[in-house]
Amino acid sequence: MKNTNWKNRLFPLSAFVAFIVLLLALVPAAWAHHSQSEYDSRKKVEVEGTVSKVEWKSPHAWIHVDVTNDKGEKVNWHFELPSPNTLMRRGWTRDSLKPGDRIKVTGSQARNYPDIAIATTVKDGKGKALFTGVTEIYEPEAESKGAR
Amino acid sequence: MLSVVLLFVLATPAAGLAQWLNYPTPGIPRLASGAPDLKAPAPRTPDGKPDFSGMWFANVPSRDNCRTGDCIQEERMAREQINLGTKLPGGLPYTEWSKEQMKERRANGGREDPHTYCMPPNFPRAWTLPQYMRILQTPGMMVVLHEFNEAYREVYLDGRPLPKNPNPTWNGYSTGHWDGDTLVIETNGIRDDMWLDIQGSPVTESARVTERLKRVNFGLMQIEIAVDDPKAYTKPWSVTIEMAVQVDTQMLGEICNDNEQDVKLYKK
Repeated sequence: MKNTNWKNRLFPLSAFVAFIVLLLALVPAAWAHHSQSEYDSRKKVEVEGTVSKVEWKSPHAWIHVDVTNDKGEKVNWHFELPSPNTLMRRGWTRDSLKPGDRIKVTGSQARNYPDIAIATTVKDGKGKALFTGVTEIYEPEAESKGAR
Repeated sequence: MLSVVLLFVLATPAAGLAQWLNYPTPGIPRLASGAPDLKAPAPRTPDGKPDFSGMWFANVPSRDNCRTGDCIQEERMAREQINLGTKLPGGLPYTEWSKEQMKERRANGGREDPHTYCMPPNFPRAWTLPQYMRILQTPGMMVVLHEFNEAYREVYLDGRPLPKNPNPTWNGYSTGHWDGDTLVIETNGIRDDMWLDIQGSPVTESARVTERLKRVNFGLMQIEIAVDDPKAYTKPWSVTIEMAVQVDTQMLGEICNDNEQDVKLYKK
């Protein structure tokens, strides 16, 4: 009997934990001038390559990365970053990344483009994280069902 | 000689960093450690009114994922940027017209958002955007500078009435008066097609917006935003947001059309 009671008490706890996890999942992207619904948070991207170009301009910085894919083909990936202002307030400078730098980038892929993504983390050649972004992307349906 | 050495020591860290991003803001209350005293009383102007002057950003805690301490922490954003009514039980009281507007805006994932298209930051939405603001306060006028598109907003404090049948603009027309230590800002003349948040909550030309600004202490400002807009909402509503003072930094202009590339990503 006591065991049953214990399980009954456990259920609300697990539901509460699930609720908290759901809330955290709904926390939106934090540095955009746009909703970011053009990116799909379920399509994770992880590439390692060489920086070919850095665009240090508002409203978002972009880094372009030459990557060799599984077939041995060279692909130029394009990663959207926070604004230069946000990056500078987090310690970056316009010289933090330069063409020729070896980096590893993770992110979420654009819904309509196979070689564009929004960066979540950027690590240098030694694996040191240069920036950690916010990965969650605005989900209008989730927000409307959130009833908050 | 000691003061010369001290000046050098104090000046060196700032001199080695970009712009004035870490340059100490003069004339603010500080603790013995040198950190800003955020709990100090709100500053006042020579005529005794609360002084809102300073730089401000939505008061949201940073979520630092850098457990190992070797990465740079995340940017922050107010939840109200997505949904201004996020803390209202039941949400904002949309009229049927508003619901129709929002159905399409939500379905499009916010891609029609004027902010995405680099249009000006419009108040009261601008308080929640992820850029910094600077308030300049004089006895007759408050000016709010906004980093996004290097925009400004004027609030007249000289007792003039709100305009009748004004030409609608992005920020409308604002006057302010004092209610004790609270600055009450009244606004009309807002354009008919403005958004209040990313999900597209409307505000229209029929709106009368009242913002009640209260500087709780040196570090914190509360803003009650009340919207009476019979075209967009079935009844008047209000929400309260918080702004945190930003010191030892500077305004960094952000011209959105400099290199906007997101609009094209929505289409193919």
